[in-house]
Amino acid sequence: MAIWNREKDGPVTEEKVLDILKRVQDPDLRKDIVSLGFIRNLKVDGGNVAFDLNLTTPACPVKDQMRDEAVALVKGLAGVQNVDVKMTAEVRQTPQMDRTALKGVKNIIAVGSGKGGVGKSTVAVNIATSLAAEGTAVGLLDGDIYGPTMPIMLGIDQPPKSVNNKMIPQESAGIRFMSMGLLVKSDQPLIWRGPMAHRALQQCLFDVEWGELDYLVVDLPPGTGDIHLTLAQQVPLTGAVIVSTPQDVGLRISMKTLRMFQQTRVPILGIVENMSYYICPHCESRDYIFGEGGAKRAAAELDIPFLGEVPLDLAIRQQSDAGSPIVISKPDSASAKTLREISRKVAAQVSIRSFATLPVLEVE
Amino acid sequence: MASDATTPTKIKKLSPGEIQILWADGHETRHLAPLLRGLCPCASCQDEMTGQRVILPIHIPDSLEFKKIELVGQYAVHFEFSDSHGTGIYSYEYLRELCRCPQCAR
Repeated sequence: MAIWNREKDGPVTEEKVLDILKRVQDPDLRKDIVSLGFIRNLKVDGGNVAFDLNLTTPACPVKDQMRDEAVALVKGLAGVQNVDVKMTAEVRQTPQMDRTALKGVKNIIAVGSGKGGVGKSTVAVNIATSLAAEGTAVGLLDGDIYGPTMPIMLGIDQPPKSVNNKMIPQESAGIRFMSMGLLVKSDQPLIWRGPMAHRALQQCLFDVEWGELDYLVVDLPPGTGDIHLTLAQQVPLTGAVIVSTPQDVGLRISMKTLRMFQQTRVPILGIVENMSYYICPHCESRDYIFGEGGAKRAAAELDIPFLGEVPLDLAIRQQSDAGSPIVISKPDSASAKTLREISRKVAAQVSIRSFATLPVLEVE
Repeated sequence: MASDATTPTKIKKLSPGEIQILWADGHETRHLAPLLRGLCPCASCQDEMTGQRVILPIHIPDSLEFKKIELVGQYAVHFEFSDSHGTGIYSYEYLRELCRCPQCAR
């Protein structure tokens, strides 16, 4: 590498560049980007500096801010003329995922709620498709064995093909997905006791050829039953997203789900408030039908992240029913933007959890 | 609820019948298979409603060993013992509570 002497300040060196980049902090991980190992392929050629900024997710909510900060600092070094930053990302795997049967899956995100009908599946499918639209590999498992909705929301209800005794997930809106609704006719009820549901979830999780996934989103059924326990016991969940309406009754029941996750030590990634307000399609006034700010207050009280407020928007419902999530079909709408921001916050929380330490098991 | 005292950093099998658990607060616990088997928290070893024990450590031979040790999600450990019993799920809290070291036994 050619480094030549510039006047009084001496040459630009890799050391000087790294030194100044240490001032850039990742606000979520609370460490500087050099210590975190985000700077890759650093090249200094006279006054030209080039490097990759390799983040823990392409859906990072503060990536532009970190890039701008890094560029400004390096440009401020004496002798630097050009700064060329390439943004890359490598999603980290949750500790111990590699010892499960889902080695190719880096993170599993459960989406749950206390009661039904709060829009859990709508939030889950939009988080999944948003993350995929950012360039990550995403899977979605419909954990609602009795009332699967993903085939409707993603517009595919054909049974999956099977290769070597493994089901090939269906693909839609940029994600791979699996649902009981693909295996059972939509008007046929499943009348099963708990152990059957447990077995079905295991199959939908482990007997599916997911391939390499950055994120596997699991849309849970409401409540705290067999499915939840199976999931919390069989895989090291990266974390759970709780969906609630602002209404007091909905929130209180959501707290049960939250406590279940805490008892089984599943980290809470945050709360999403759905149906926060209704925008009148005629006069665009906002109505807080279920009360205002309920979930935000609850999140603050419990000291867990508040991920955002999703309005009661006709378009979200229409796009879901039409089999094309709003973040894909109407990406510029206000609701899609809100959902995209939520998915980025989820990705940031997942990154934080991927640095957690879990116990080492030495039993052989 | 999770705290350093109930968060293991390492679980190691020292011998066929003994495990060592190192906790995030620096404490060390050693557990013998017969004691853990005798205090199994599963519904057939302990009455689900009253909590009264059906199986006690005195029912278990001292020679009992661990057959299989696995983590359960992120909150517990599952043991299968040499008598083939393996239905108990031992939460980290329970494993810490059962610590019989001189300091904890006081």
